[in-house]
Amino acid sequence: MVEVEQLGKTYDDWARGPIQALRGVSFHALPGEIFGLLGPNGAGKTTLLRILGTLLRPSSGRARVNGYDVVVEPSQVRHHIGFVSANTAVYDRMTAWETVEYFGRLYGVERSQLRERMELLFRRLKMTDIRDVLGAKMSTGMKQKVSIARALVHDPPVLVFDEATSGLDVLAARALLATVRELRDQGKCIIFSTHVMREAEKLCDRVVILHRGSVLVEGRLNDLMQQFGESDLEELFFRLISDQEPQREADERGKVFAEGVAAG
Amino acid sequence: MTLRNVGLVFAREVRDQLRDRRMLFTVVVLPLVLYPLMGTVMVQVAQFLRDHPTRVCLIGTKDLPDEPPLVDRDRFHLDLVDAEERHLLPVVIQPQQPGNIAASLAEVDAAIRRGEYDAAVYIPPGFAEQLEEIRRRLAEGADSQQAALSLKSVPSPSIYFNTASDRSQVASQRVERVLRRWREAIVRENLRKSRVPQVAAEPFQLQLTDVAEVRTRRAAQWSKILPFVLLIWALTGAFYPAVDLCAGEKERGTLETLLASPAERTEIVWGKLLTTMLFSSSTAVLHLVSLTITMIVFSRQFAAQSHPTMALGMPPVGAVGWLLLALIPASLLFSGLAIALAAFARSTKEGHYYLTPLLLVMLPLMLLPMSPAFSLSLGSSLIPVAGLLVWVRAFIEGHYGEALRYALPVLLVTGGCSWLAVRWAVDQFCNENVLFREGERGGLRVWTRHLMQHRRATPTVAEALFAGVLLLVIRFFAMMFAAAPQQWDDLLRMVTIQQLAMVATPILLMTLILTNNPIYTLGLKLPRPSDLLVAVVLAVTAHPIVLWLGSAVRQMFPMGDELQAQLESVGNMINQAPLVWMLLTMALLPAVCEELAFRGFILSGLRQMGHKWAAIVISAIFFGWMHSVFHQQVVATFVGILIGYLVFQTNSIFPAVTFHAIHNGLALGLSRWESTQIIKQPLWQLLYRTTSDGLLPTTSALVVAVGVIIVCGLYLYQRPGDVLPEAEAVTGT
Repeated sequence: MVEVEQLGKTYDDWARGPIQALRGVSFHALPGEIFGLLGPNGAGKTTLLRILGTLLRPSSGRARVNGYDVVVEPSQVRHHIGFVSANTAVYDRMTAWETVEYFGRLYGVERSQLRERMELLFRRLKMTDIRDVLGAKMSTGMKQKVSIARALVHDPPVLVFDEATSGLDVLAARALLATVRELRDQGKCIIFSTHVMREAEKLCDRVVILHRGSVLVEGRLNDLMQQFGESDLEELFFRLISDQEPQREADERGKVFAEGVAAG
Repeated sequence: MTLRNVGLVFAREVRDQLRDRRMLFTVVVLPLVLYPLMGTVMVQVAQFLRDHPTRVCLIGTKDLPDEPPLVDRDRFHLDLVDAEERHLLPVVIQPQQPGNIAASLAEVDAAIRRGEYDAAVYIPPGFAEQLEEIRRRLAEGADSQQAALSLKSVPSPSIYFNTASDRSQVASQRVERVLRRWREAIVRENLRKSRVPQVAAEPFQLQLTDVAEVRTRRAAQWSKILPFVLLIWALTGAFYPAVDLCAGEKERGTLETLLASPAERTEIVWGKLLTTMLFSSSTAVLHLVSLTITMIVFSRQFAAQSHPTMALGMPPVGAVGWLLLALIPASLLFSGLAIALAAFARSTKEGHYYLTPLLLVMLPLMLLPMSPAFSLSLGSSLIPVAGLLVWVRAFIEGHYGEALRYALPVLLVTGGCSWLAVRWAVDQFCNENVLFREGERGGLRVWTRHLMQHRRATPTVAEALFAGVLLLVIRFFAMMFAAAPQQWDDLLRMVTIQQLAMVATPILLMTLILTNNPIYTLGLKLPRPSDLLVAVVLAVTAHPIVLWLGSAVRQMFPMGDELQAQLESVGNMINQAPLVWMLLTMALLPAVCEELAFRGFILSGLRQMGHKWAAIVISAIFFGWMHSVFHQQVVATFVGILIGYLVFQTNSIFPAVTFHAIHNGLALGLSRWESTQIIKQPLWQLLYRTTSDGLLPTTSALVVAVGVIIVCGLYLYQRPGDVLPEAEAVTGT
């Protein structure tokens, strides 16, 4: 459903020079599965998901969503994906109903079907009471519900949630996680990015842990815990990241030393 | 691109803007209340200026003649002052310090600067005496009148005022009117005393008859105001929605939501563009309506009392129609530019910063047609914005034939500029570096470190643009401070210094500091011999076309006499220089230095934009701009495009240097040979003809030149240009 192969992304940064945000990332996510994308801040999760959403073009490698290549057929990809991110806000000057309707029409859903679909979504996501509320008047939880409805309005087979619980209170976060589970049970392929390990533990069937743009490990949660002898995902995550940092610092030191030697 | 999605984006954006109270205030409320309020304020200010008395000091009353009287107690004489100004000009007689005029004047001078008086009139000693002497001689008869001609004129009275004070300037104007009337009265008195009828001095009165119909007079009055108001508000009205729709959406996080939807980037841009156009046009129209009504009301109330013919009526219906028609391409152009600039901004605040540069570029183009010397011609119709403005003015004034004659160039230029603006806006929306530009850590240290540590093989686009602007700025200051050459050796010295110090040195320094591969940056790769041969052939065959183009430009934009004289003087100096020195300094040296700059550093940076022709044209515009005279700039831009293509296809600077040196050498050589017997040679006559506009190619030479250039172009087109190593250019990691 989502196939990522050797995906790389480089961009220029004033202060740090060229940055490799992704380095040869590969994984496959399947229908009816919640695939967790874990990593600390700056791991490259948002960059990867923006590439899946065709917002960014990869520098190398390839990615396919529901069989469509993100570079060759970006329009098809956008028709088959629902994208919810902390960066995809709702319009302040539109009501919940208007926002979802607007995107439904952009996705090409027929008017009659759209109305039925929206009624269903508003009921299922318990949004009927905020139907005519302007975005500017909504709480963070309400806005997140509207974002989910907007991403689901065209009934896509693939859904991407990027830090979707960020800023939500406990109740709103639990409701969102329940919705994600429901969607998984409906057979959707869900890519769920987070840096909150408890969420991933509760939700994800398989995970990939990213660190500085590279994949550290990938697999089923239980398998990974067994493999590393940890009973808790957070501990496993912390251990993997900690193992990488001294290695990276040593590499950096070695590089500086080598440059010094080369310079004479 | 589907129209359905464009329509959806457009409808949403319009609804969104209409729900924004600030936007509604700017677009609808402000135009409706602005002009009536401004009118009220102006009336109050005018009343203040008109009604405020100004105090005038008079020195030297003892030298005033008895007839005609200048003052009547503490006022100017009633016959000399307009009825409505009589109470506004109180006069203070300044007692003069006996025998010390300088001290009295110094005192008055200081009093005006302190604001105690608004102006002073000084009657010099001997004024009345000398006047009386003239009158006496005139009264004595014809012989004495002859003698009177040898008399000295009457010493001149002076008006003292302070230009730093508005009140003082108003006072000086009032006093000047009074003194002019007084002078006329003196003339009349002189004539009376010499028994010469007044008709001798004033044999006739001028009768002014305005043949303009009311309709055309109104059209002419409105044609000067309305097009300018329309365009300035179309620009301003485009900017605020554009900033909200691009930078504002980025800031609010909704742009990413839209980009993740199935709407294509082009559809999104067109949706936003049409919204911006709608608000730009609406703002312009509402301002136009409000201003027109306000002006009509105020002109009827005030101007009409003193000058009934100046009262404004309703603008002709045709004028309104032409204005609305011109508004469509104008608002498309401004909206495209505004969207492209606003897309670059990360926030609304940053977006507003970009309004100033846009206004600074557009305002001169809008103000240019306000000059009485600027009229509709082929040349003016080719100037973006200004051409459109003067074209609409011709329509409003009813000069339909003239306007229709220039319709094609105006519409082509405006349409072309609008297309470029829209294309730029679409490019901005397709550029992820623009859309997802993060807040960079600023600061001079970080920036310098970035430049030094992360050098690339070739400059970035920004560095190339900076180099172009830097060369123009250096050239501007060099022109300001350089003395005009008097001799040929001065001229050659000046050109050498300019080329080496102001073109080559900055470019070589920038190459060394900003890049790590000078060979690629400056295009110092050895060319194929066939590339050099093509450069030679191109330079020789392009020359007749360049001559013809130069002549066409001179006809479209005629040169002033002063400029022509300056150019002739420089031409004479060049012809006096020894041939070898002239060729080395004015052909070879500029060829090397300017090619390193424009086709080396600047073009290699601009080619990273990914648009071949945009890179070539922009580098050519910089190259053209480096020339002093507008006519040379146009021709040099054309030559720059040819050389740019040559470099792009051969990836070497050497064919460009060859072309440039031969081109300059031919231009210099021909002007020298033109005055020799060589012009009688059959080959010369086959190629060139001498006209009143200088040397021009024959038609057959032009046809052959175009044919050869096409063949050379085909050779270059099939020439596989090497790819510069931008991809592996990054170092310092």
